[in-house]
Amino acid sequence: MADKNLRFLVVDDFSTMRRIVRNLLKELGFTNVDEAEDGQVALHKLKTQHFDFIVSDWNMPNMTGIELLRAVRADAQLKHLPFLMITAEAKRENIIEAATAGASGYIVKPFTAATLEEKMNKIFQNLNK
Amino acid sequence: MSDFAGMEELLQDFLLESTELLSDVDNKLVELEKRPNDRALLNDIFRGFHTIKGGAGFLNVAPMVTICHRTENLFDKLRNSELGLSSELMDVILDATGAVRDMFTVLSQGLPPPNPDPAMLAALDAALAGNLAAVKAPTAAPAVPVVQAPPPAPAPAINSNEPNWEALHQAVTGSAQPAAASVPPAPAPVDMAAAATMVVESAPAELIPAAPVAVVPAAPKPQNKPAPSTGGPISGQENTIRIDTVRLDQVLNLSGEIGLTKNRLTTLRTEILQGNMETNTLRSLDEAISQLDLLVSDLQNAVMKTRMQPIGRLFQKYPRLARDLARQLGKEVELVITGEETELDKTMIEDLNDPLVHLVRNAVDHGVESADERIAMGKKPQSLIELTAEQVGDHIVIEITDDGKGMNPEVLRRKAIAKGLIDAETANSLDEKQCLQLIFLPGFSTKDQISSVSGRGVGMDVVRTNIQKLNGRIDINSIQGEGTRISISLPLTLAILPVLVVRACNQPFAVPLAMVREIIPIDTTAIQEVSGRPTIVVRDEILPLKTLSGLLNWQPTQKPNFGVLMQSAEKSFILAVDSFVGRDDVVIKPLQNIRPKGVAGATLSGDGSVVLVLDMEDLLAGQMDSSANGSIMLRNADNFSY
Repeated sequence: MADKNLRFLVVDDFSTMRRIVRNLLKELGFTNVDEAEDGQVALHKLKTQHFDFIVSDWNMPNMTGIELLRAVRADAQLKHLPFLMITAEAKRENIIEAATAGASGYIVKPFTAATLEEKMNKIFQNLNK
Repeated sequence: MSDFAGMEELLQDFLLESTELLSDVDNKLVELEKRPNDRALLNDIFRGFHTIKGGAGFLNVAPMVTICHRTENLFDKLRNSELGLSSELMDVILDATGAVRDMFTVLSQGLPPPNPDPAMLAALDAALAGNLAAVKAPTAAPAVPVVQAPPPAPAPAINSNEPNWEALHQAVTGSAQPAAASVPPAPAPVDMAAAATMVVESAPAELIPAAPVAVVPAAPKPQNKPAPSTGGPISGQENTIRIDTVRLDQVLNLSGEIGLTKNRLTTLRTEILQGNMETNTLRSLDEAISQLDLLVSDLQNAVMKTRMQPIGRLFQKYPRLARDLARQLGKEVELVITGEETELDKTMIEDLNDPLVHLVRNAVDHGVESADERIAMGKKPQSLIELTAEQVGDHIVIEITDDGKGMNPEVLRRKAIAKGLIDAETANSLDEKQCLQLIFLPGFSTKDQISSVSGRGVGMDVVRTNIQKLNGRIDINSIQGEGTRISISLPLTLAILPVLVVRACNQPFAVPLAMVREIIPIDTTAIQEVSGRPTIVVRDEILPLKTLSGLLNWQPTQKPNFGVLMQSAEKSFILAVDSFVGRDDVVIKPLQNIRPKGVAGATLSGDGSVVLVLDMEDLLAGQMDSSANGSIMLRNADNFSY
């Protein structure tokens, strides 16, 4: 099982949503969580602080989740980070886009703690291989 | 018991944030009418609905998800130029926005919102299909469009797309995934009680697709665990506030510094009590106290600032309001807002909403003319209403200015007489400016035709009362044919009241500084009797003279030496007092259980004595009722050789 001290970065422009994700993570025992309100802020935090896991919304002003994902994968320091993409859409083309950009997982709003855990476990399994 | 028990805090956050977001969307919609092809605007609006939908999904508010989902899709098509914006389409969108707003209201009372109007959903679907005209008339059989509607929540897609993702992930990442049955079993049909409990346990989600319509229970379910009493029911005024952390840190820093200074004072006290009266000790004491003085006033300011909010939060609702009303009345109106960053105490912002809504409606309805009338008068057809806010000294001035037909003082005068609000004699003694003030009388309405919008005559007096409750002033200027300007002047905060401390009958009293225009020495030879009442002429203005002791019904102890020129709502007068103490910023403590006439509360003066803070309006009102008490008292005070 994953280390409960993992440091998460939750990226969403809607603070209520950040809080929801934070609460769900807390339910799963992950309390080391920081937040960012868009891709730009997130990228800055990622470059200046240490994180183990990124949970990001797709649709955000300034820098979208997919742009953040590409920036993370293009950065030698950050490219290994697990990246879970959250979105309200479950369109095929979105999923393909996220997958090709290198997302570790994809979760559709709204979701429960159980769904989130399942997605995360899958990501951890893949990491450990 | 609310249906969102256990989630009140989250719900409140969501409502607070989404309401702002929706207001922003509303304004952008008004903008969009002017620039229908602005992609940035379309994107922003799309994102607004998208974000609200996301939050609503987590809170299990299926009806809201349904509307936002469709509206969002509509904007997706608009921004991809798959659809063109027409005024019919705009109406559909605005309806949808209104419906979402109504749901916020229902939610804020802790109730689940009802299912959206099928006709509106049908219109949205038709708009999405690109044949809006077909559903222009209210559909007779709303059930049909609902049935063929796309799935309201995106959630069902989780299941159908899940295996795709896994497969894709394998294909892309090349990791050999054990063929785990990752698809969660389709949610079994759940009964309503279970659905409600799930909400309580803040585990929303997969139930929505199971029964999108059944999520709203017909009757409130009794629940086992009581709702945490987080400050009463969620409704009406917001009882949370968002504060810039910089401001909060400032408060923290200052209270820390005050703590340090207090420690220093404690040490000094010990020294002095032990008999150490050296110059150095006393100088340190002096320094510490001056520092405390500075820190406390800084702290007061800093605390006040945490309550300050930009007035834009309020203003942003009005362009939509003006637009809708103008459309309804067939007028062309542009509402221009400036100074939305001006900050004001949070409670005042909330209390200002009703008066401002009224004034904006009035300006659109009564203030400006129809396009035809305007053209006939040589004005451009589109009328302009300006709403401004700015800080002037320690006051906030809000002005609403229209370029309409203005007000005719004569018409107002006649109207007031005809309605029996004032007698003809009083009316004829009013100058033009005073005539304009007549609209503040209860029961005054100038429109002969009562419209559904305004004109019931309940408005302006309520507006003025509300502004006065905030210690504010409201003023009208109007030029016939050119327009009307209504100015509201408000103190920055209600927490601290600047006062003038005066003395009468050997006792200090505080009067609100906002009402004080100037202070004059009373020259007994300058007092003239006009219809039996003492008056003084100040720069050609005849002002009644009232002694404070007279207003209080107290026996005067000496001849008043000074006059304070006071300006209340529309009348000015001179308040005769014995002497002055000075100006001060006080915190009013309301008097519990007793409410003497004319006393707003009490405060402590620097020397620790109690000072009564006077409510001049109240004091004067009493004076009006009991046939000019003040002047009677003044004549009783003849022994002071008036």
